[in-house]
Amino acid sequence: MPPFPFQEDHEMIREAVKGWLSDWEDGGKTLHRMAKEGQGFDRAAWEGFGRDQGMAGISIPEQYGGADMGLLGRTVIMEETGYTLFSAPFFSTCVLAADMIEAFASEDDKTDLLGKIASGDIIISVLDGREKLSLKDNKLSGTLSPATDAAHADLILVAAKDENNYVVLTGYSPNTAGLSVTPYASLDPTRSQAKVSFENVALSDGQAIGKAEDVTFSQTLQIAHGSLAAECVGGGQRCLDMTLDYTNQRVQFGRQIGSFQSVKHKCADMFIALESARSASYFAASPDLDDDLSAKFEAALIAKNYASEAFFKIAGDAIQMHGGIGFTWEYPLHYYFKRARGNRALFTSSEDGFQMLADQIGLKSHASGISGD
Amino acid sequence: MSIREELNQWMLENLTGEFEQIRWRGGPGDEDSSPELRRAWEQKFGEAGWIGLQWPEEYGGRDLSLMDFVEFNEEYARHGGPGRAGHIGETLMAPTILAYGTEAQKDRFLPGIKNGTELWCQGYSEPNAGSDLSNIKTKARLEGDHWVIDGQKVWTSLAHESDWIFVIARAEEGTKGRDGLVFLLVELDQPGIDIRPIHQISGTAEFNEVYFTEAKAEAGNIIGEVGEGWKIAMALLGFERGASTLGQQMMFQNELNLIIKTANANGRAEDPSLRRRIAEAHAGLKVMRYNALRMLNGTQDGSTSKEGYISKIFWATWHRDLGELAMDVIGADAEIIENELSPLQKLFLFSRADTIYAGTNQIQRNIISERALGMPKEPRGTTNG
Repeated sequence: MPPFPFQEDHEMIREAVKGWLSDWEDGGKTLHRMAKEGQGFDRAAWEGFGRDQGMAGISIPEQYGGADMGLLGRTVIMEETGYTLFSAPFFSTCVLAADMIEAFASEDDKTDLLGKIASGDIIISVLDGREKLSLKDNKLSGTLSPATDAAHADLILVAAKDENNYVVLTGYSPNTAGLSVTPYASLDPTRSQAKVSFENVALSDGQAIGKAEDVTFSQTLQIAHGSLAAECVGGGQRCLDMTLDYTNQRVQFGRQIGSFQSVKHKCADMFIALESARSASYFAASPDLDDDLSAKFEAALIAKNYASEAFFKIAGDAIQMHGGIGFTWEYPLHYYFKRARGNRALFTSSEDGFQMLADQIGLKSHASGISGD
Repeated sequence: MSIREELNQWMLENLTGEFEQIRWRGGPGDEDSSPELRRAWEQKFGEAGWIGLQWPEEYGGRDLSLMDFVEFNEEYARHGGPGRAGHIGETLMAPTILAYGTEAQKDRFLPGIKNGTELWCQGYSEPNAGSDLSNIKTKARLEGDHWVIDGQKVWTSLAHESDWIFVIARAEEGTKGRDGLVFLLVELDQPGIDIRPIHQISGTAEFNEVYFTEAKAEAGNIIGEVGEGWKIAMALLGFERGASTLGQQMMFQNELNLIIKTANANGRAEDPSLRRRIAEAHAGLKVMRYNALRMLNGTQDGSTSKEGYISKIFWATWHRDLGELAMDVIGADAEIIENELSPLQKLFLFSRADTIYAGTNQIQRNIISERALGMPKEPRGTTNG
């Protein structure tokens, strides 16, 4: 029986993905190669996984050429890619961009772009420029950083606010006049980061994807971000697995260190954090929430923030439980620690996320104009 | 009509009149409130057929499915249904009797639970058998047609309001630990039993010491065989992780709502650090609910799934933290007692027990690391016994 709330077909996908990613890892060699190459992106592997294995289309609706497996389907993929730190733009393209396009694009653009996403033939980086980009005389100016997966994107999908506070979504080729993409080395070498500058880039030089009310755009964005919870669960599971292996075989004072209560209790705490993050992640992907945007938004906020805090704690504890070896470059834990730190800060920080959740549950704030005492 | 609608209608018609005053009352930390009324409520509830819904039909149950039972518990709590005086009987004693009891025991004990007339309490802990529960010293010997029991139990919730107690006792001289124990059903109203309340941090006295001096139980009031007491006692604890946790979570939601209301009223809702803590508490409660759903869906056979092991420590720690958060939201005013402790003051004080009873957080971490994670077992001392 597949674990709740998954079905048989999800478990078949999970097994297939697990096997493929385990080959990709190559016993730990691949992450070191990614770090050495410094791009945070394995193009050949992405083509194999997204296009040839058909994973890019996992949650794209059937009418656009996808497998239509919804939030649970992408949860499976994100969990397994998190477990291995698969360095590819599944989240940027197949989650974030796909959700934006599905929510806001015209039917023609959906057919075109979702079709290309599903077949693994396009990489899209989504940039939220609502705060930092200016939109004047139909021209965009400003700089966005860090821009995840922009360095190798075929299309840069940027959101900016117009004078009426509407969100304008535009797709640009990276070669557009006035637009420049500068790759950065990333603290997390398994993820690609860049700086993207707009210098009077005309809206008309890009592809108008759609317009949205700010609130609706925010909710759609956060729901997509919720899928990162699954990546955190996968990464956290890997850290715990490594810690259990290590504390079982490492002997000090004539005993396995895993027999000491201080170590056991720390591992128990890691497990509690991991399983509750898993609940948060599965809750946000639960089919029960379908059609209720507000409930999905809240569940996604909880999932992303709760799970990214948990992953960071677990990864830090894993290093501590490994002692000195956890501090070495050779041992792969640091890649997970760095990914965990990134997941806390990127795509809405945990701090901002919990403040948004506070608004959502009806806590008054200065912004709502209510004074205290 | 769904079970939710059925109960909704009944609650609207019956949680009225004198019972209004126990709405939202009698939950954990508040179990001393209006015991007579809550006993009357339990009987009313039983007469209406709401107790034992998950039991097989031949014992008067409705074979209710798990998800329906979840809905039922949530609906009850949504109405602010009073803390159930019979919850130990229904959620712990009855499933144990159904699983391990004889037909005669089922006939004798299930009806009293089902109609709300016989309330139960749990005789496990002793002065020297707390976390180390198997270090039981209470003795039981069979004399003719009776068990004779001598010893002491402690931390017995609601013994003073109960009719029966289930007791683990040592029946075989010279045994240690988990061997030689029996699981007995003992009537409380008898000369050999003395119940003394323990006054707690909260000023109330839900817990008791129960002294047994040649107390008696009928020979047939043993569940399982002599020597199987530990097995039965542990199986009973397994039933604790059931659907009733979802009803408990509705009580928690009510407390959290009160905290949010307080924060909005006194302006502390604007403090970013308190906002974050309240938001985290909200997230924790949602996570707790989904933990429970995963656990309940994962183990239809009654065994504990791996993730099921986090349930106790998670809710207990969450609830204790909620008590601290409540006080921080109220601020200095929380020092003032007006007439009696407010619900949030009670929450703050009583929730210190949550991380201690039913397996301390430290014991929970041992259990998680050994049973869910398969880490090496704790070495056992030799001075036990």
